[in-house]
Amino acid sequence: MVGYLLQRLWQAAIVVIAMSALVFCGVYAVGNPIDVLISPDATQDIRAAVIAQYGLDQPLWHQYLSFLGRVLEGDFGRSFVYNMPVSELIMSRLPATLELTLAAVFFAALVGIPIGMYAGYKPNSPVSRAVMALSILGFSVPTFWFGLMLIMVFAVQCGCMPAGGRGDTVSVFGVDFSFLTFDGLSHMILPALNLALFKFSLMIRLARAGTRELMLSDTVKFARAAGISEFTILSRHVLRLISIPLVTVFGLELGSTLAFAVVTETIFSWPGLGKLIIDSITSLDRPVMVAYLMLVALLFIVINLVVDLTYALLDPRLRKGRA
Amino acid sequence: MTADTKTPLLEVSNLRTWFPSGRSEVKAVDGVSFSLAPGEVLGLVGESGSGKSITGFSIIGLIDEPGRIVEGSIKLEGRELIGLKPHELRSIRGKTISMVFQDPMMTLNPVLSIGTQIRLALEAHEKIGAAEARERAIKALAQVRITEPERKVDFFPHQFSGGMRQRVAIAIALLHRPKLIICDEPTTALDVSIQAEILSEMKELVAELGTALIWISHDLATVASIADRVAVMRFGNIVEIGPALAVLTRPQHDYTKALLDALPSRAKPGQLLLRGSGVADAAPPPRKASVGDLPPLGSPYLVIDEAVKRFEKPAGFIKNLAIKSGIAQPVPAVNAVDGVSITLKRGEVLGLVGESGSGKSTLGRMAAGISVPTSGTVRLADKPVMSSGRSPRKITTRVQTIFQDPFASLNGRMRIGDILAEGPLAHQLVTRAEAPAYVRQWLAAVGLDPAFANRFPHQFSGGQRQRIAIARALAMQPDVVVCDEPVASLDVSIQAQIINLLIRLRSELDLSLIFISHDLSVVRHLCDRVAIMYRGRIVEEGDAQAIYDNPEHDYTKRLLAAVPVLPQAA
Repeated sequence: MVGYLLQRLWQAAIVVIAMSALVFCGVYAVGNPIDVLISPDATQDIRAAVIAQYGLDQPLWHQYLSFLGRVLEGDFGRSFVYNMPVSELIMSRLPATLELTLAAVFFAALVGIPIGMYAGYKPNSPVSRAVMALSILGFSVPTFWFGLMLIMVFAVQCGCMPAGGRGDTVSVFGVDFSFLTFDGLSHMILPALNLALFKFSLMIRLARAGTRELMLSDTVKFARAAGISEFTILSRHVLRLISIPLVTVFGLELGSTLAFAVVTETIFSWPGLGKLIIDSITSLDRPVMVAYLMLVALLFIVINLVVDLTYALLDPRLRKGRA
Repeated sequence: MTADTKTPLLEVSNLRTWFPSGRSEVKAVDGVSFSLAPGEVLGLVGESGSGKSITGFSIIGLIDEPGRIVEGSIKLEGRELIGLKPHELRSIRGKTISMVFQDPMMTLNPVLSIGTQIRLALEAHEKIGAAEARERAIKALAQVRITEPERKVDFFPHQFSGGMRQRVAIAIALLHRPKLIICDEPTTALDVSIQAEILSEMKELVAELGTALIWISHDLATVASIADRVAVMRFGNIVEIGPALAVLTRPQHDYTKALLDALPSRAKPGQLLLRGSGVADAAPPPRKASVGDLPPLGSPYLVIDEAVKRFEKPAGFIKNLAIKSGIAQPVPAVNAVDGVSITLKRGEVLGLVGESGSGKSTLGRMAAGISVPTSGTVRLADKPVMSSGRSPRKITTRVQTIFQDPFASLNGRMRIGDILAEGPLAHQLVTRAEAPAYVRQWLAAVGLDPAFANRFPHQFSGGQRQRIAIARALAMQPDVVVCDEPVASLDVSIQAQIINLLIRLRSELDLSLIFISHDLSVVRHLCDRVAIMYRGRIVEEGDAQAIYDNPEHDYTKRLLAAVPVLPQAA
């Protein structure tokens, strides 16, 4: 186990370093932030002073190395636009995205998997057929359209739900959360639903396919021959057996939602990371972009590691050879 | 048996279980009637598709959709089971009737511990606490002769061998002291020595507990060794039922006779088996490659010298560091074949016998030039079978292979004609223009209609597919054919046909065969010489007759003693 963890940490370090180099070079190819930062009528002297202040007169490799050095001390630089430390800026936005995506992904899993299992257990019932038809719709409807429709129906027509923003927040350990207040929760429902739709359909289809296949297996037949009830078979045998692909997709979706909830956050003006990165890209705020993309890489690495460890927890056959 | 005086435990009458298929119905079970006394062991014998398994599933009420019982009655202790509500049936399943399946690999849930699975089965019929359930699980494991049950109860299925897994399945079936256990081919997936253990334990257990048993099998000899009575099934019907000894030694029905005659253990070695001997096969096409430079029959031909095959997972950089610093365990290496030297003479049939994991298939693959030995040489007529270098490949067409599973070894998306012509075309044995005629000749030679060349593999039965696989191997005009369990997945009557085909083609083409099998009776029938493999080594080798009559090595003796034999007619 220790050897395995060491190996994974080693891989993670390589990925993060490679990612930082890629991002650094990539971002510097996008455009020159000086053009955005300084008014066009500034004198040449002021220009040179500002460039020197941000260290932009150094060669690229020098800038990269000094950036790496600062990162090792925990300093990701200051945002050009907000003029505050990037780490602080990201930390102020992260909880909003985190609670929104976690709500969406867990809703998708906790509701989608049971529905999918039912559809796989009774593949020919009208309810299952309807669920499957709806799940195809969930795949194919674009997120932005579904989000706009949600706002149209619930916020504009009914007026029962707020159309955007985060609502009241409660501060826990210095971090603001919406889901602890009624107002915040009501602000969260629509964007969370919008974000969950695709994952929800995915979970339904995956759970259904796995269940359908397993119901014909000898494992289930043997359990039935022992007189075990259908509910126990589904909840104890089948759920455990279909969980590996579910956990894989769950992890991937959690990562990509955390990183790229941009569309939903923009539509519902949710002050999360997605909005921050879009703003930074348009204003060429390099430190924010670099730090954000490295955070995304790190997130994926951590999630994948957790997923792999969960595999070992779920399937004893995978524990062998790692012990 | 006191079946006449007591009320029977189980009374099946005129049972019909049909499966709708398209517009018609497949009559899987079509009018089966029998009765079973308490504590009696009934063997249900038949070939695949005879309806023997469906009969078992009908009794326990687990017919897969869209199958249904259309007619008949199943009475358990006088109570009619057909038409019971699902929850009533469930309360009988596992408690009064339980079932053991063929493949213990597939029946136990791989992600739940044995203890958990036993607890779930206990909870199905009684309220029980966790501690008590664990205690009962340990007792149940001890009952089926599993050593150290206190420790093994926390094991997962993959930590057990096949035989142990089947014991666990039997322990689960016995949990609630059922009156009847249905065993569906419970030892088919196991090695002979394990099968012998399970058979004798099962006999003891049912005698001890007074449980009745329905033992479903395709293997007449196993059934003979456990059953009081035997029922022979064909096309969904019981054609003959009676005391085991009488049915197997003095069969009344033609089908039972044919089934018995198809067994190699009842025929003289080397002779054509009775069933299928009448199949008219055409002569194989003339060989194109010159035969002149071949050594004479009986001289050493394929020589395997000190062959070793080692399997190990390569360790990565960090893993190696971790191993060196002692944090991780070194990667274990397995010597599947551990220094084997053996010579195949030209024109002989060499049997390679061993249980699963003995390395017989790995040796066969090295002989056939499919995998390269880690060390040692494989030479055919003094020329290596595979090229040397970093990525060795096979450099001769004179060795070909027939694999066990004809469903997996034929490409399902290619037409039969293309499958047969592929190799000969690639090696310029025939031209593209000659290929169709060549393919037709080979199809005729293995007893298939030459018009089948346009069909796809899925349109054929298992036996037909194995014939195609044989034709594919022989169309390469080899001198040596490695047959890796070619009849293991086939019914006895089909097995007899394939054996006959091999016997005939061997003498017509002067082939040398390496015949890999776990079935000792088939090997005895077909082979001139036999090598017994055990844990990667050949423990005994010699003339087939001599080894079967006077085995020298302990392992050979155990292996031969474990083979169930049919009672002989007095």
